[in-house]
Amino acid sequence: MHLEMKNIYKSFDAVKAVQDVSLSVGDAEIHGLLGENGAGKSTLMNILGGILRQDSGQVLIDGEDHSHLTPVRASHLGIRFIHQELNLINDLRVYENLFLHNELVAGGLFLKKKEMIERSREILEKLELDIDPTVYVRDLDTSRKQLIEIARALLFECRLIIMDEPTTALTNEEIEKLFEIMRGLKADGISCIYISHKMPELFDVCDRYTVLRDGKFVATGNFADIDEQQATEMLVGRSLVHETVEKSNAVNENEIVMAVEELSCGDYFRNVSFSLRKGEIVAVTGLFGDGRGELSECLFGARDVTGGKIKLKGKEIQSASILQVMKSGVSMVPRNRKERSILKDLSIMDNLSMAYFTSKHKKLYISRREERQRFEENKRITNIKTDNPDNRITSLSGGNQQKVVFSRWFGLDSEVYILDNPTQGIDVGAKFEIYELITNLAEEGKSVIVFSSEYSEIERIADRCLVMYKGELNKEFSREEMNEVDVMYYATGSNKKVS
Amino acid sequence: MNTELKASKGSGAAARSVGFMKKLLIDHNYILSLLLLLIIGQFASEQFLSSASLINLLKSSVFIGIIALGMTLVIISGNIDLSVGSMLALTAATGVVVFNATTSVFLSLSASVGMGFILGLFNGIFIGLAKVAAFIVTLATLVGYRSITIQFGDGGPLIVDNDAYFNQLRTIGYGKLGPIPYLVICFIAISVFVWFVMTKTRFGRYVYAVGSNEKAARLTGINVKLMKVAIFTITGVLTGLAGFLYITRFGSVDVSTAGKMFELDVIAAVAIGGTSMAGGRGFIQGSVFGAVILYAIDAILSAFQVPAFVNDLIKGILILGAVLLQRALEKERTE
Repeated sequence: MHLEMKNIYKSFDAVKAVQDVSLSVGDAEIHGLLGENGAGKSTLMNILGGILRQDSGQVLIDGEDHSHLTPVRASHLGIRFIHQELNLINDLRVYENLFLHNELVAGGLFLKKKEMIERSREILEKLELDIDPTVYVRDLDTSRKQLIEIARALLFECRLIIMDEPTTALTNEEIEKLFEIMRGLKADGISCIYISHKMPELFDVCDRYTVLRDGKFVATGNFADIDEQQATEMLVGRSLVHETVEKSNAVNENEIVMAVEELSCGDYFRNVSFSLRKGEIVAVTGLFGDGRGELSECLFGARDVTGGKIKLKGKEIQSASILQVMKSGVSMVPRNRKERSILKDLSIMDNLSMAYFTSKHKKLYISRREERQRFEENKRITNIKTDNPDNRITSLSGGNQQKVVFSRWFGLDSEVYILDNPTQGIDVGAKFEIYELITNLAEEGKSVIVFSSEYSEIERIADRCLVMYKGELNKEFSREEMNEVDVMYYATGSNKKVS
Repeated sequence: MNTELKASKGSGAAARSVGFMKKLLIDHNYILSLLLLLIIGQFASEQFLSSASLINLLKSSVFIGIIALGMTLVIISGNIDLSVGSMLALTAATGVVVFNATTSVFLSLSASVGMGFILGLFNGIFIGLAKVAAFIVTLATLVGYRSITIQFGDGGPLIVDNDAYFNQLRTIGYGKLGPIPYLVICFIAISVFVWFVMTKTRFGRYVYAVGSNEKAARLTGINVKLMKVAIFTITGVLTGLAGFLYITRFGSVDVSTAGKMFELDVIAAVAIGGTSMAGGRGFIQGSVFGAVILYAIDAILSAFQVPAFVNDLIKGILILGAVLLQRALEKERTE
């Protein structure tokens, strides 16, 4: 399929998600779409999938104008969308998921079960997947589910496949297999748009690239003509060498603030031990399903542990409640801001004050003057861009919302800050501001644990990096030893398979 | 980033007064609704806007109104309480029995309120600690509490002893301070108190936080389970108070009909007052207006001599309309 998207514009209220972006994908081409979170990749792909309608701009498919796409029309044209988040229904069987919304029916009423199972078996075999089409999806592990998503895209005739970060949950072997499949499809003349943050993968499998940044078109060309350094610079929009945050925080080697001993939590993670020093930033990374998220929750008392201890300044935390953990000096910025941090109906000021209310506020009633003062103080520190703190928090951009969430915890003056994916879904500019906030915390002598899946972020701020793999602490790197290839090596568990 | 700055820069004095008007129309449209109804009422009956009839309107909305205060907390926190009507009957029945045994106003009040506390706590424990859906728990207690009340009264009405009633209880139910009945003063005082709690204290903020995003509220250190227990207990206590005032006014409780279908009127009052049924947003003063609006509708319909059985149909339509209006205005607001 020859795809041409020309001068696409799309806004959501005041937010310009995509501005004057063009994308061209040739026949039998694997096209890498690059951009940080919030760069506009998803918006663009949703327009192509017919889920969103562009404000202006043209979509040409094989030279024909298809600017008014709907999901049904896109599907008729043979455009298949493999979403980043799994869209499978756990309580249905594999074949039922594969044929969902496209069931084969006899006489317009009765399901042709046998035929569906047979065709499912064929496609799974073609992909060399050893999965019985009649098992329930809930019984498959995450990487298998991801592969089922891919199988679903191939089940019906397709001419263009959009893959939105399909490898996040896959092991190295499975990634290799996926690439083989993609090359096979390419040989059949099928085009592919491949979205990923992982440079080695992009360079491995893709022919051409398009880079987006802050909703704007940056560049397009052949991967053969650039190297990873150049690609990253286009992605971030500035020369990396100059933008590395100066690390000047002095880690006090002897003063251990937090010690985690043999911590376990059910099936999620086992026997995790590490210590955190004063003024230190420790990054914890890994891939999907490594138990990182659960670990962060346990450290904050938001999830019950099944074994082990957490000591704060030598004293064991009896993590009976979140409030108790907060009062003993631990703050947490949770992952997934929309789901876990934002009180969407409350004002910016109330959102900011909430943690202060629960752990420090002693008066009978709330003084508006004090609340305002607290806001102004934090606004100075975190540079929240708003004039009216009485507006709802949802009136702010993602980056500014996250700054409010950070401010929420600054009033507590904690010893330890747990930051779980703190730059998720915010634009590049705000990201750098957040990095600065984090390094400032460390300079003030606070200790920080950053849970992150972005290596570029870890490289910028971390003094140490812990890599998790399937619920175990697989490897520890000092700042000097850290590099992306080795971190990935341990995150994918490659060291485990050799033995 | 640019657009964001532009959007927030336009807040001069003019913009602020426009903002105020917009707020009055969008957030606090219940004020306008009541004014509109009063004007319509004036067409229906010459005396509609007289002070006596307005005070009457307030007086009739006292019971629904006080319970609606608690229901507002419940709904803002993202829950629902269907058992308030049965709770009203059971707390009132308790008040009657204790009064007849002791002839003490204070003990009778304490018994009603205490019973409300227990019933609300029972709801709260199942909803907050055992994490059963509020709809299910209070549906069960709606029938359960009513059944207990009927057993209690042996099926017939529970009546306050005549002499003692006229000497003591009736003063509260029918007494006035100047032109204003004690009941109304009581209602307004409690409303102001609950309003203060909801707008000026941490507890109020927590209620909004829990209703807005339970997960996020928990991760700021709010004890969500305990909050739910507290919210349902408060509703029980307020209902108990309404139950006591009920017997001062009527002198008896019919165990099978007292407070029946009250939950609908109470929820309607809260909805009309602009509280979001999805939780996270709402106003105490709105529910007070909502209760008055409900009775204003009643009064207008009877002034127009609309048959009583059509009343509920019209009420139902108005509730649906109110919720649809809220949603439309919410869209307006976010744009």
